[in-house]
Amino acid sequence: MFRVMLYSQWKWSRPIVLLGSVAGFALPIVSLQGARGGESSPLEPAELLRTVQSWGVLYPVLAATLGLLVAIATWTPDHRGRHVHALVLPVPRWRYVLLRFGAGAALLAAPIIAVTAGALLATWSAKIPAGLQGYPATLAVRFALAVLVAFSVFFAVSAGTARTAGIILALIGGVILVQILAHVATVDLDLLAKLQLVVLNWPGPLAIFAGRWMLIDV
Amino acid sequence: MSNAIEIERLGYRAGRAFEIKDLDLHVPRGAIYGFLGPNGCGKTTTIRLLLGLLRPLAGRITVLGDAVPRDAARILARVGFVPEQPHLDPILTVRETLAFHAAFYPTWDWPWAERLRGQFQLQDGQPFGRLSKGQKGKLMMLLALAQRPELLVLDEPTDGLDPVVRRDVLSALLEYVAQRQATVFISSHLVHELERFCDWIGVMDQGRLIVELPMERFKNGIKRLRIDGTPATPDNLPFVLLAREPANGTGETWLVREWEPQMAAFFDAYGVSLHQVIDLDLEEGFVELLRTFRGPRA
Repeated sequence: MFRVMLYSQWKWSRPIVLLGSVAGFALPIVSLQGARGGESSPLEPAELLRTVQSWGVLYPVLAATLGLLVAIATWTPDHRGRHVHALVLPVPRWRYVLLRFGAGAALLAAPIIAVTAGALLATWSAKIPAGLQGYPATLAVRFALAVLVAFSVFFAVSAGTARTAGIILALIGGVILVQILAHVATVDLDLLAKLQLVVLNWPGPLAIFAGRWMLIDV
Repeated sequence: MSNAIEIERLGYRAGRAFEIKDLDLHVPRGAIYGFLGPNGCGKTTTIRLLLGLLRPLAGRITVLGDAVPRDAARILARVGFVPEQPHLDPILTVRETLAFHAAFYPTWDWPWAERLRGQFQLQDGQPFGRLSKGQKGKLMMLLALAQRPELLVLDEPTDGLDPVVRRDVLSALLEYVAQRQATVFISSHLVHELERFCDWIGVMDQGRLIVELPMERFKNGIKRLRIDGTPATPDNLPFVLLAREPANGTGETWLVREWEPQMAAFFDAYGVSLHQVIDLDLEEGFVELLRTFRGPRA
């Protein structure tokens, strides 16, 4: 069952997975381009850290994009068939959802491996100035967690109906509206900042995306 | 005989406009049960309820001895379903679609699936989304049959198909039923099609089951009677008078149900002469039944 589910999802997700893998492999290598300048002009540690940090913004963006697109692709065949085929298969619904989730997560292994390979290759081939160290394994694990968190969140949202999506959008809209009204009424209420604190700070659900993503660090 | 499908006092509501109320339905094991009704009368909703796709508000549904929706997964392993609209993954090819489906059914019969694929002239490499309507209909029937089900639930399986495809699909179905003595629950508004092979008939309209009878009783029991005069309606009718309307100036035409030939004597005793007893085919019977259900004129 899992094999056919994986194959079906591969057919829907392969452009995303392939492009994501190429991007994931290239990102660490490109980010350390400056450290590969040869003996003539190796980067200073501070400059290298700044470069690595600026490229590091792209890892969570890539993770979130992959999670979103693979989650959408995961449910596309069922949405198109109004879930009729899924619902008449002789498996409990929770098991069907697990099969879909498992297949999507398995497909995300490719970009995760690509980031790992790219990070290892980049740090191995770079001239890292004294006092700095490469963290390819840490970066890869963090990327893997971020991809899986993004996939899980979007998988859950995509599994719902248009009504569910509407409720989520209404909630977000409500928060923004309250914030605007508070601002107009000069009430000391920073709802968005509080929300950001809850969601993006540890142990918030999206904490993995926050902070610096450094392939090279002190 | 036990029933393959039993529905007792089923209730369901979809919005304000549509309701299924107190629906009782019994499909005997081994029967080919034609589920008739006009478009929008609740046939597809009833099918979705009995497969566990929708949750009823009231009543009890038993399929192959198990309760729906509680045992839906176990029941679905023994049921082949052809929906009204094809709903399969459009980018999977015919071969991939078969493999996907087969993985979920332990009773899947690959040799027979291959035979049917050849018989239906379906190309392995064609994506489902690019198949014609007829090819999609054939593939849906193939999937339902190759899992060797005890019960086939078919929702308008030949609607919109050309006569050749329709014949191919129905031949495969009847061959399977003859081999396996499976039960078939087939919904349609194509009355003449069901007349050829169904042995039970249920007629639904506006969310209610109007009648449920063996096909022969249904066909033989509905008659149009031509009588002289316009007598008052007697209290002790031995048949069900569905409608009466003036005919040829002095006489009347009565539409009756549950007619038996010996009932002609009733008119003699009543002092009315019965001129003619006209047989109705299933389609005429069905139309008259719906007319009288929607607006009784008796």
